[in-house]
Parts: sequence; structure tokens; C-alpha cells
Amino acid sequence: MSYFFQLVVSGIVVGSIYALSALGFVLIYKSSRVLNIAHGQIIAAGAFITYAFTVWVGIPIYISFPISMVVTFFLAMSVERIFLRRLIGEPIISVIMVTIGLMSILDGLIYLTPFGTENFSFPPFLPTEPISLGGVSISWTQLVGVSITFLLIACFSWFFKKSTLGISMRAVSDDQLASMSIGISVPRVFGLAWAMAGLSAAAAGGIIGNITGLNFDTLHAFGIVVFPVVILGGLDSILGAVVAGIIMGLIQQFASGYLDGNWGLNGTGQVLPYIILLIILLFKPHGLFGIHEIERV
Amino acid sequence: MSTNRWLATGNYFTSYREEQRIFFTSLDRSAMCLLIVLMFAWPLLFEVSNKYMLVIDNILVAVIAVIGLNLVTGFAGLISIGHAAFVGIGAYTIASFATVLGDRHILITHGWPMLIVLSGFVGALFGALVGLPALRLKHLYLAIATLSFQMIFEWVVNFMDFFNQGQTIPIGRVFWLAGKVGRSDHYLFWYYVILVIIVLVGFGTRNLMRTRYGRCLVAVRDNDRAADAMGMHPGFTKVYAFGLAGFCAGLAGALHAYLYRGVGIDSFTLHHSINYLAMAIVGGLGTLHGSFWGPLAIKILDLQVERLSEWAGSHLTAATNLTTALRPLSFGLVIVLFLMFEPRGIANWWRIARSYVKLWPFRY
Repeated sequence: MSYFFQLVVSGIVVGSIYALSALGFVLIYKSSRVLNIAHGQIIAAGAFITYAFTVWVGIPIYISFPISMVVTFFLAMSVERIFLRRLIGEPIISVIMVTIGLMSILDGLIYLTPFGTENFSFPPFLPTEPISLGGVSISWTQLVGVSITFLLIACFSWFFKKSTLGISMRAVSDDQLASMSIGISVPRVFGLAWAMAGLSAAAAGGIIGNITGLNFDTLHAFGIVVFPVVILGGLDSILGAVVAGIIMGLIQQFASGYLDGNWGLNGTGQVLPYIILLIILLFKPHGLFGIHEIERV
Repeated sequence: MSTNRWLATGNYFTSYREEQRIFFTSLDRSAMCLLIVLMFAWPLLFEVSNKYMLVIDNILVAVIAVIGLNLVTGFAGLISIGHAAFVGIGAYTIASFATVLGDRHILITHGWPMLIVLSGFVGALFGALVGLPALRLKHLYLAIATLSFQMIFEWVVNFMDFFNQGQTIPIGRVFWLAGKVGRSDHYLFWYYVILVIIVLVGFGTRNLMRTRYGRCLVAVRDNDRAADAMGMHPGFTKVYAFGLAGFCAGLAGALHAYLYRGVGIDSFTLHHSINYLAMAIVGGLGTLHGSFWGPLAIKILDLQVERLSEWAGSHLTAATNLTTALRPLSFGLVIVLFLMFEPRGIANWWRIARSYVKLWPFRY
């Protein structure tokens, strides 16, 4: 039974990181209807920037973590400014393909740095012996990571519910024309959405880097697992991203905990999310919390 | 109307029949015949080394795959980020025959034309399966469905013993009328096979776009509600577009398997899907001759990047993995720059050049 609870705990840890990664994706989709295929690369970039500040520059991690979030904030904003601003009004298909190209470009840029091929790990800054509670253990890094994740998600929810900027972003996602007519600058909102996505991606990257170590393939995989998460949660729902992220984390941990090794199966945790994705697309395409668009053609 | 379309200043068609002809003038027809004859004849006139023949074969296989991708992304307007997986389905169809029967079984060495066509149909089946969500959804979701199909495909191949866990599965040499195709003329032989298939697929696509089924694809891309009102079924049209793309990809995959005499997962990863997409965009989405320009341009770019990184690697000591860095970087830049500045691709340059010549010495 303690094995079960252990899987639940690690599922919640992984799932909350998925939720944070998916949050950035949903932000961009909600405001500008763009599927950002390059999100995994932005997460990886955030993680590497955190590492560079912590180890190469030598800033303590509790300062370098926010610094890298700010850096990635401006990085994502400039990506939007350079590549996507001039495509406003173009068909959505070419905008999505630009993000596919962007994914390739960021891949190449990351491969130019040592991070592309080598593995790094953060110097430990928390007590290394895990907390044990009735046979279930959780490491300090995981505990702190999950707390930061939930704190950030709470901050984002507050931002969208209460602040003027957040409300204007929701207005743009609802109706661009109407929000323009009441004086909201739609391009600025798009830029802000990308910047906020970059911010949350950097946070996710930093936390993943601390928990699993820095490996480009792992970080990149986190960016692709975002797709099953957002489809399960509904593409445009922040609550959906959080709930679906945790569900997906649990499913993955249970699959690799109970299925791997039996019946000749291996690595089921990696593939199950995508199989679930295809099934959801067939039977419940708007996910758990997504808005049901009436138009169905 | 002037009988020479090259001198006409505008569109002078007087009937739909006239507009739908494959060749507008007899000059066009003879030019195309000449081109095809030249494509068949030139390897006989020049001595080509196997190394260059392999590059050419590679480009032509990519042309077949990109024609398929162009059908689904260019004509039907659905992004497919899993095209390499469909190509892989074709290749692994051959590979599974080789695993079950042994790589020198008579079906593989003598029955290869049948197997290539069969791979096409298997590819079409999987394409249609992945396209099934189209019955309820719009294109955004389909892009994600194809991406997840790519992931599932890679997992299945990587983890199943039947597929040798992604390691190379060998495929035997084939026989032709004159006997076994040996090492020296292997690439030349497959050049001709690929060329025949390209001619068939190319004319098939050109003819498809003249029929109601082809125009249906374009109609659904441009305005699916209007297409629905006109009595087409947008969902089935999309499924069938994916099926067609899967068919071409399956053919390309089977040819790839026979050309390299082996199948491994390395040629069918997400990275290659993006390459195919880059080829389709650079060539020009929604044009048939764009499917020829794109692979040519991207493969040449690829060779140049390889040469550049070799050159840089000999001068810089630290740059050991420059190829892995420069390849995605250059492809990504090409995709983004083309989408930003020339979204209609190289095919558009041809159109611009033609209208320039036509209107010379006047200009807009």
C-alpha cells in the first residue's frame, strides 16, 4: 500500500510541474489562438538560464530563479515581437507553422551551447535526506518545487481574476474587436501573453532542472507532454490545465509503476498520455473544462 | 484568344473544360514529355558515381513524401506534424515482412512492386485513422493528433522486439528481369523505379485536382462552412485527405526501405517530420511543382550545412557537434523566413518570373 501512496506523491509532484508547463501554453492559446509548438524549448531555455546564473555567475539560487524568470519574460516577449507580431492577421495555419520553425531554431541555438548534449545538475541547496512519512518519502526539492508551483498558479489566477491587465487579457481572448473598441491594445496583450508564458515556462524549467537534473531531451519531452495535458483539460482553461496536469502525472506514474515490466511492456509512462490524447480527441474533443464551440464543421 | 498561352495577357478561358486541361498547349505537352524523357535518359549519357546517385534518389523519395504532405497541408489546409511517422509506417510494413519471412524471401526480392503498393495502402489506412478526429474537430486539434501519432509511432518502434527496438532491420537485394540487382547499379535501378512512381503520383495528383474530389479539398480548406452548404462533407474530406497523404508517405517509406536496404527509426523521427514540413513550405504549399522545388532546395541546403560544419569543425576545436546545431537552426530559419517573407514559396518565384517575361517591357 505504501508503494501506491509513493506513486500518488510522485504523480502529484510530476503533475504539478505539468500543470505549470501547460499554464504557459494555455495563456498563449487563450489570448491569441496560437498553438505554441516551441513551448518545450522555452522551458528548456528557462532551465538553462537558471543554471547559468546559479553556477557560472555564482548567484544564490533563490535570487537567480526570479532573475531567470525575468530574463525569459523578456526573451519570450522579444520572440513574439520579432517573429509573430508581423503575422497578426495572417491565417492561423501559417502562425502555427512559424512556431514549428521557432522550435527548430531554438533547438539549434540550444545545441550550440554545452547544454544541448551534456548533462548538468544543480548544486544541492536543500537538505538531501528525504522526508519520510509512513513509508512514503518525498525529497525536499520536490516539496519546495510543488509549493512554488502552487504558489505561482495561485498568483496567475489572482492576476487574471483581479488585475486590470489580466482582465484586459481575458477580454481580448473573448472578443478582439470589442476589446479594441474599448481601448485595449491587442498586440500588446499578445506580447504580454507570450511574456507571461515565458515566465511560467522558466519557473517550470527551473523546478524540473532541480528535481531531475538538466538534460535537454527530458526538458524537451516536458514541452511535448503539455499537449495531452491541455487537450485533456480543454485548450483554453487554466483550471483545466491544473487539474489535467495532475491527472496526467498520476496516470504516468501509475503506468510506469504497475505496467512496466509486466507483459513485456516498457516505458508506458511516456506513451500513455498520447494514446489518451487520441481517445479524448475522438470522444470528448473539448476536454474536461474547455469551452464548447457550437460551430462544428 | 491567342493560341500561345505564354503570350496571352490575361485569362481568356471560355469554358470550364478548357481551364481544366492538364496541358494548356501542345507546347506544354511536348515540353513535359521532353523533360520526362530527359530525366530517364541522362543517367545513361553521363557516368554518375553512386554517392551522387544516392543524393538524387534521396531527393526524389522526399518528393513523393512531400507530394503527400502537400495534399494534406497545402491543398486541404491541415497541418501534419507527423508525416515522417507515416513514411515510417510504409518502411516498417516492408520491414515486418522481412522480419516474419526472412530478408531474402521471394516475396521481398521478386514481389517488391506489390509490396510497395501494399505499403502505400497501409500508410493510407493509418493516415485515415489519425485523421478520424477531423469528423468532429477543426484543424488546430488535428495538428496535435498528428504530433501524438508521431510520438506513439516512435514509442512502438523503440520498445517492441518485433521491430528490433529501432535498430536497423536488413532487407535483401531485389531481382529484376535481368537478374539480381547488384551493388554497382543498385542506386541507378532504384532511380528508375522512383522516377516511374513519381511520374505516376505526379500525374495522379494533377488529375485529382481536376476532379470534384480534388476541388473538394481546396473548397474545404478555403471555407468549410460554404463547402458544407454546397453539399460536401468537410469531415470525410479531411479524413480522405489524410488517407491520400498516408498513401504517398507509405510509398516513399517503402522506397526508402529498399533504397537503403534497411529500416531504422533514425530516419522517421519528429525532426524529419519538421524537415518534410520545411520542404513543403519552401517549395510552396498548395502547388504541385512546389513539391519538387522544396525537397531539392532543402536537401541542397542540408549538404551545404554539412560541408560548412565540416569546414568549421576543422578550424575550431570546440565545435564537435556543430552539425547537430546548424541543421535544426538552418531549417527553422528557412521555415520562418519563408513564412514571413515568401509564404507562397519557391513556386511563387516561378510565377513572378513568368509574368515578368510575359509583360516585358512593361511592368506593374
